[in-house]
Formats: sequence, structure tokens, C-alpha cells
Amino acid sequence: MEFTWPISPSGSAYRPLVQATDLTRRWGKGTASHLGVDNVELSIGQGELAAIVGPSGSGKSTLGSLIAGLDQPTAGSLVVAGTRIDQLSNDRLARWRGSNVGIVLQNFHLLPTLTAAENIELALKLSESRVSRRERRNRSGEALASVGLSDKAKRLPTQLSGGEQQRVAVARAMVTMPRLIVADEPTGSLDQESGHIVFDLLAGAVANGTTVLLITHDHELAGQADRVIRMLDGRIGDPSAGDIPGQQSSDVLGHRDEPNQSADELVSPGRHR
Amino acid sequence: MSQVFGEIRRAPARIIVSVFALALAIGAIGVFAIPTVAASSLRDAAHRDQLAQVVMSTTDTGDVDIPALLTPIENVELAEIQVLTHVAVGNGDTPELSPPIQVVGVEIGQQQIDIVHADKGRLPERADEVLVSDGVADIGATIAAVGHGDTTTELTVVGVGGTSAWSGEDVLFTTLDTAAGMAGLEGANRVVVVVTHETNQADLSATAEATADLFSDEGIALTLLPEIVPNGEHPIETDIEEVSTLIGLLGIVAGIVAIVLLGSTTNTLITERTREAAVMRMLGARRRKLRRRLRRLAVGIAVAAAVIGVPLGILISNVIARMVLQEFVGITPGLAVSLPVVVGSVAFAVVGARLVASRAARRVTNVPLASALRDRDGSPFGRRFGERLAAGIPIGSLLNRTSIRNVVHRRSRSLAIVGQVTIAVASLMIVTSFATTINDFNVSELEAWNWQSKTTVAGEGLDIDAELADTDPRSEAGIDVIGELGEWEIEVYGLPADTLMINRTLDQGVWIEQPNDAVVSRGFAERLDISVGDDIEVLLASGPAIYQVTGLHPDPLRSVFVGVETLSTELGASGRRNVIYSLDNETSVELAGLTAVVHYDAVSEDETARRAIMLIFGAIGFVVVAVTGLAIASGLAVNVYERRHEFAALEAIGGRRRDIYRVVSAELAPLAMLGIGLGLAFGYIGSWAIVDSFEAGDAVEINLAFATGAIPAVVAVVVLGSLAIAGLMVRRVTSQPVAEMLRTAA
Repeated sequence: MEFTWPISPSGSAYRPLVQATDLTRRWGKGTASHLGVDNVELSIGQGELAAIVGPSGSGKSTLGSLIAGLDQPTAGSLVVAGTRIDQLSNDRLARWRGSNVGIVLQNFHLLPTLTAAENIELALKLSESRVSRRERRNRSGEALASVGLSDKAKRLPTQLSGGEQQRVAVARAMVTMPRLIVADEPTGSLDQESGHIVFDLLAGAVANGTTVLLITHDHELAGQADRVIRMLDGRIGDPSAGDIPGQQSSDVLGHRDEPNQSADELVSPGRHR
Repeated sequence: MSQVFGEIRRAPARIIVSVFALALAIGAIGVFAIPTVAASSLRDAAHRDQLAQVVMSTTDTGDVDIPALLTPIENVELAEIQVLTHVAVGNGDTPELSPPIQVVGVEIGQQQIDIVHADKGRLPERADEVLVSDGVADIGATIAAVGHGDTTTELTVVGVGGTSAWSGEDVLFTTLDTAAGMAGLEGANRVVVVVTHETNQADLSATAEATADLFSDEGIALTLLPEIVPNGEHPIETDIEEVSTLIGLLGIVAGIVAIVLLGSTTNTLITERTREAAVMRMLGARRRKLRRRLRRLAVGIAVAAAVIGVPLGILISNVIARMVLQEFVGITPGLAVSLPVVVGSVAFAVVGARLVASRAARRVTNVPLASALRDRDGSPFGRRFGERLAAGIPIGSLLNRTSIRNVVHRRSRSLAIVGQVTIAVASLMIVTSFATTINDFNVSELEAWNWQSKTTVAGEGLDIDAELADTDPRSEAGIDVIGELGEWEIEVYGLPADTLMINRTLDQGVWIEQPNDAVVSRGFAERLDISVGDDIEVLLASGPAIYQVTGLHPDPLRSVFVGVETLSTELGASGRRNVIYSLDNETSVELAGLTAVVHYDAVSEDETARRAIMLIFGAIGFVVVAVTGLAIASGLAVNVYERRHEFAALEAIGGRRRDIYRVVSAELAPLAMLGIGLGLAFGYIGSWAIVDSFEAGDAVEINLAFATGAIPAVVAVVVLGSLAIAGLMVRRVTSQPVAEMLRTAA
């Protein structure tokens, strides 16, 4: 479903890629129900590197999954890359994901029976069925080269280290040239050096105009994002949660109590990329 | 058990499917109990009705006191006389000439042998009352029975019931005198004997021989070979045994399915706990303790399955045994349980689960701890040479490659699916081939004959004057009696040398010309190593007769064709016959007061029998196919469930449900194709083995008619069934949110 963005009241150049309104994800019913995301208002601009941080169970992964189209909200609306994805069927959502989102997860989730190159090719095939086999192979090779793994194209996931598997996952996420990459704890299983390599790859994608949503526990990593979004108990913003390294306390969600403030303003700018 | 309930809470659908699949497999083993259940039901009936151990069909006993006559024979405890005849029946006003029905006359109320009992109403008390077998007529109805000399007897039905000696047949039970009147006898024509103690075949034969000698002294001749029922069996037990043997063969198929299912289910239950076991090892649990825990889990699930499966098996065996006995014998048996099969089923489930679990638990706990903690199943793809080889062959689309490599990776599961499909296809082919074979056999059985109708008369003797048939050029008088050759019961046909009633074209030799010439069925002759020119000794009711074989006939049964006059002389009734063959639907020969029994619908009788057999084998085939279907579903469910995270990853990068379905079906397709190929081969071998065993057991030529016409339907059932199962499983897995699946993989 295509969605027409309203004209920005401020008339600025900010063009949101993600626009969540009253976004809620609840599991179960009645007293046994559990809220993962509670009435979240959020906008993420095109080409932005946004980081979501928060303690375990705060709902950051749930929010990331909703934005990536891996899950459906129980209430609210969610527009990503011009499509109202909360109203898509499972199959349409899958097709939309293939074309618009690259996903990088902590556990890599490479298909175990396919080689590194085949895993990347498969993402291309699912997103762009008309691409010829030869072109797929070329682009897969380029993607592997961009993450420095040209020599490991024929390796199976079990024959790669964790860091290498995650680099393949990043290559797989980027090969389709998505408008958004959602990376959920992409460095969580990696050593520091591998973590830096992966983050640099994601930052490189932002430099090419891709929006990256980084979900992480790592405050140092989050500090390198354009914006840091803090979550607690399924909601955005918690002034009492303390500082994020590299940021002023007042910058962090410090405007929550101000009247007539948009959800966008409840996030703090990161240092830079 | 608490462990089992814990497992059910953890993955209810999968565990319940496994438990039910195992239960059905255990239940299918109940098929083995059918012969026992059927035999014990028959023997119960034989005991209840005090069935005779020796039955002699005789000429009119006149006023001879048979029980007193047989008193000197040491082994005879009781002897009674009966009358057996046939009558045409009608509703009183317009007697129908067909179909004829058997009338059995007994000393109702005083019987000690073949006791007739009333299930409804009461036993006849007067000469004009009759008790009928179930389905013949209602209580209160009047039956006009046309018997000897075209005399009509009006009989009132006072009860429904009978004795299992005549089970499955339409019979009127009446008093001895009434039946004798209908048959035109002064005395009786059937003597039944219960012996004192010696019930083996040899002693009973000796008793029958002594009886025949005493009869001979009184001028009473045997019209049929004595019927011997040894060892407390039921007269038709041997007939049922054949069907039971065949059912037992299908039981073996069910047993193989059960073994495959037990192995794969138990193996999966243990293997998927590789990481859990690894965590426990990491925390200090000893391997031995872990193995014990895993074995207990498998045994617990097997016990749970047995709790459901044993009653299911008892139900299956009793339902099929009931079908067999009702269709073939007319007996509705009570509930019977084969304790050895029950104990065997439970032992099979528990011991089998323990053995498989022991092996799987050893494997799971022997995986290096680091690998087991890292990998979900402890055996990631790429470890084995075969897997690396498969990964190095980039053939087919990417999705197809994952399918093929998964087949290689999950070898046991793949083999199990191939095995299950093989068994399903083989079972279906055996059942359908059996149907076509029986059909063809029925046709070939009558193929050699040219007659359209075969008319016999009431009674077992040679009651037709040979000259009667001279009035109708399209009819011939002949003889059709039972004899024995080389311990085989055979059909002995007496026909004129220039008979038109049978195709006289032989496979070898020439048709009968001289008085002692005989033509023998080719297949039967080959089995007995009889050649043209050999002498054969045929045992008739009157004693042995020697013939010289002049030719071999294509008839598929155990038949001996001899000159009709020679045979009538051998039987001590020169110039007499017992059958009129006609090229028309009804002979125009006047039978001079004899009651005609026309058998022109032999083909439809065969059709009824065929339907009964197919019903039974269809039911067994259904059980086997249901078990294999459930086994395939269970295997696929586990397969898809285990890979749900992989499928979620595929969905995360844009894969749709149909892509996942494609992966699963592409994985299933080669396995199904292999299974179908093997199933067709095993189906052929199995059908051939069954038919061959029947041919060897009955010395008849059945000739396998493999149901090639059914192959497209069987393939379609298996392919569509497998795809439907795969579709259901994929739908189930993909209905979960992708994020949830990915999260649980962590």
C-alpha cells in the first residue's frame, strides 16, 4: 500500500523514512497480556543512523522487528519507505521486506546449507526475481568483496568465524540496496575488532544514503549514531535512565514534558557519524 | 510421566502427533492378532454348538438306527442323523423356482451335535414350523417350500438363528421328518459324529472309515467324501486361515511402518535436545545421568503411545476379524484379545524406544561440548564429506540447493520418509493388485466353460437319469463331485467325450477318449509333477479309482476331467448323473419331479465374494496407509519444526510462504519419487509373493495381475497427500511472526 507523506509543516528538508504513530505491540489478552511496545510515536529520517538503546525487555528489539516488518503491531500505524506496512498481508510484507529492508541479527541467521556467496545471492533473488543469474553472482561477489570476504565465497557458514558470518550477513543486507537496514545487536556476538568492522560497514551504508536502525546494548556504539532513542517499558524516553556516553544528559529525551512536542523531538541527536 | 507431560506442554502439537503416530503404529500391530481373534471366535462357536468332528453324506439311511449301528466303533461318542436338501421357496401363493435354499432337518430340541439355537423367536415345535438363518425371512412369515415330487410344504417362520455349522449360508432349519418329506427320503442322508477323545486327523479318518464300512454293510453309500474336522477346529477354520495369513502379511507391512516410525520419532525426540544436554553437561551433569534422562523421556512417550495404541490395536483387530467372520462365515464374534500380540506390541514399543533412545542419547552426549553449545542440533551442515560435496555442486536454483543439501544433511529423516512412502505405495499396490488378480482369476475360473446354466437337484446323490438330457440337444448330463488326489481336495468332472460344455483345447495331450482316460488341470498337474501318460489315483466317495492322464487342460483350478459313464460306474450309480449343463440360461430338460437348483449366476456369486475380500483388504490397506500417512506427517512436522528458524531467516530476507513451501516440497519430491519407485517394486514383489503363496498353498494357478492401471492414481494419492501435508506444516510454521521465530533461535 503506497502512502503519501504529508507536507512537513516546517518545510524543512527532513524526509522521514519511518513514521510510527501510536504503535503498540501486545501479546496475550486480559491480565496475562504483555506489552512489548506501548503507544510509540517515532520518525526516522532518510539516510539517518539511529540507535535504539535500553535495558533488556525495554521493547527495543520489538520496535526494531515492527519497523523491519518482521512482526505486526496490534495497534497504531507504521509507514516505512512509503508503505503502510501494518496493513500488509504476510506475503506482501515478505515481498516488501525483500525489496526495502536489510536485516542484520545477532545470531547471523545465514542459511546453513548455502555458501556465503549463495546466501547473498538468495537475498537478491528474493528481492529482485528478474535479475539474471550472472548478475546475481557478480553483485554477490561485489558484496562479499565490500566486506572483505572475497576469498571465502564458497565457505559454508559453519566454516566461517562469527565475525565473518556477521560480515556475510551485512553483505546480504546491503546487496539489495535497501532503503533501510535494521541491525539488532549486530556486534553482540563479536569481539571488539569484528564489532568495529561490522559497525563501519553499516556506517558506510548510511554514507550511501541508506537509513540504518541500530539496536544495541552497547552505549559506545550507540554514541556514534546520529540519534539515540532510549526505550523503557515499551515506551520511548526515560530521563532518569542516565547518560549515554558522549551525550549530555539534557540532550537525552530531556524535552518530554514540554507541551505540543512531537515524538521526533523525544529523541536526542547523536554526536555524528 | 511428569517428564512426558512437561514435553507436551513444551511442544504440544508435535508431541501429540508423535504419540498418536506411535499409537497408531502399535495399533496396526494389532492386525497380527486377527488370525488368533478369528480362530478363537470360531472355536468358541464350535464349542458352543458342539460341532461334529466327522460328517458323512450318505444315500437314504432308511429305517436303520444309525446311533445304534455306530455304537461298536470305539471312538464314537455320539452320532445323530440329519437331512440336507434343497427347495425352491415362495411366499405361499406363487412359489418361485429360484433361488433354491438349503433345508436342514434335525431333531430339534434333542440335539447334542450341531445344536441349532434361536437368536430371535423360538425353535420349531411342530412339523409346519421352521427356524431360518438371519436375513432369510421374518418371524411370522409363511414360506412355501417346493420339494421332492413338486410337493409344496407350507412353513411358518417361528425363529431366526441356526448353528455355526451352517454359518454364512441361507438355511431353513426344520424337523427331521419335515425335511425328509421334502427330500423324498425315508430316513436321513447325513450322519454327524462326535468322537470320544481322539480328535487328530488320522484317528478321525479311521473313525470315518469304520463308519463307512458299517454303512456299506447296511447298503448305505457315501455320496461325498467324509468331512473331517480335527483338533476342535471349526469346519471353515482352514478357509478363514488363508484370509488370516494374508492379513498377517499386511500386518508385517504395518509392523515395518511401526519400526520406522518408532525409530524416527524417538531419534528426533532425543537429537533435538542436543543443546539442552550440552548446557546440562556444561553445568556439571554426568553423561550417564543425561543418557538415563533422555532414555526415560523416550520410554515415557512410548508408554503413553502404548496406552492409546493397545486399545486401538484391539479395536482394529476385532473390527477386521468381525468383518472377516461376518462376510465369510456369518458369525458376529464377541470381543477377543490376543494377549501375546498385546504384550508383544507393548514390549516392541518400550524396548524399541529404549534401544533407539540409547543409541541417540549416546550420540547426543558424545558431541564435543563446544560444538553442541554452538549448534542447535550438534551436527551442523558441512561437517561430513558428503555434505561438503553436496555444497560444492551448484546445481538448480538456490532454493532447490537448500532442499537437496537438507536431504543429504538429514539422512536418517530422509531415509525414513523414503521408507514410509515406499510402504504406503507398496501397500496400495498390493491391495489393488490383489483386487485385479482376484477379478482376473474369477474370469479365468469360468473361461474354459461354455455352459450358461448348471442345474443340480436336491440331495447329494446321483439322482438324475442320464437319458433325461437326451431330449434337449443344448443340454448335457454330467457329474460334478469332490475327490482327492495326492492329499489335495479336487473337483472331479464326469463329461461326455464329445462334450460341448467345456473348451476341449488342451495345453498338452488329447481329450478323454478311453474309459479310464483323465485330463488334469495343467498348473495342478505341474505342482504334483504329473505328466501325460502317468496313472493317477483319485479318491472318490466310493473309494479309489485309477485313471491315465491323456492331457493337461488350461483350467486354473484343481480339476480332473474323466468320462462321465466311467465316473458314474465308479460311484456305484451307472447311468446316473447329478448335474445338467445347458448352453441356455435354463435347461428344457424335465427333471421328473426332482427339485432343480440352477446355478447360472456363478459369476455374480464370485463378484459378491470378491467384494467381501476387497472390503476387508481395503480396510487393512486403509489402516496401513493411514499409519504411513501419519508417519510421513510426523516426519515432516518434525523436519519443518526443527528448521523453523531457518525458514524464519528466509522470510526475513523476503522469502514468502510459497518459497518455503517450494523448499519443503522440493526436498520431499526426490524422496517421494524414490519412495514411489521402491514402493512400486516392493508392491510388485509383495503381490507376487502373496499370489505365489496362494498358488503353492492351494495348488491353483492364480497368475498375478499387477494393477498397472492403478499406478497413476496411487502416485497421485501419494504425491498430492505428501504435498498437502507439507502445505499444512509450512502454513503452521509461517503463521508465527517472523520476529518471534528469530528470537527463539537465540
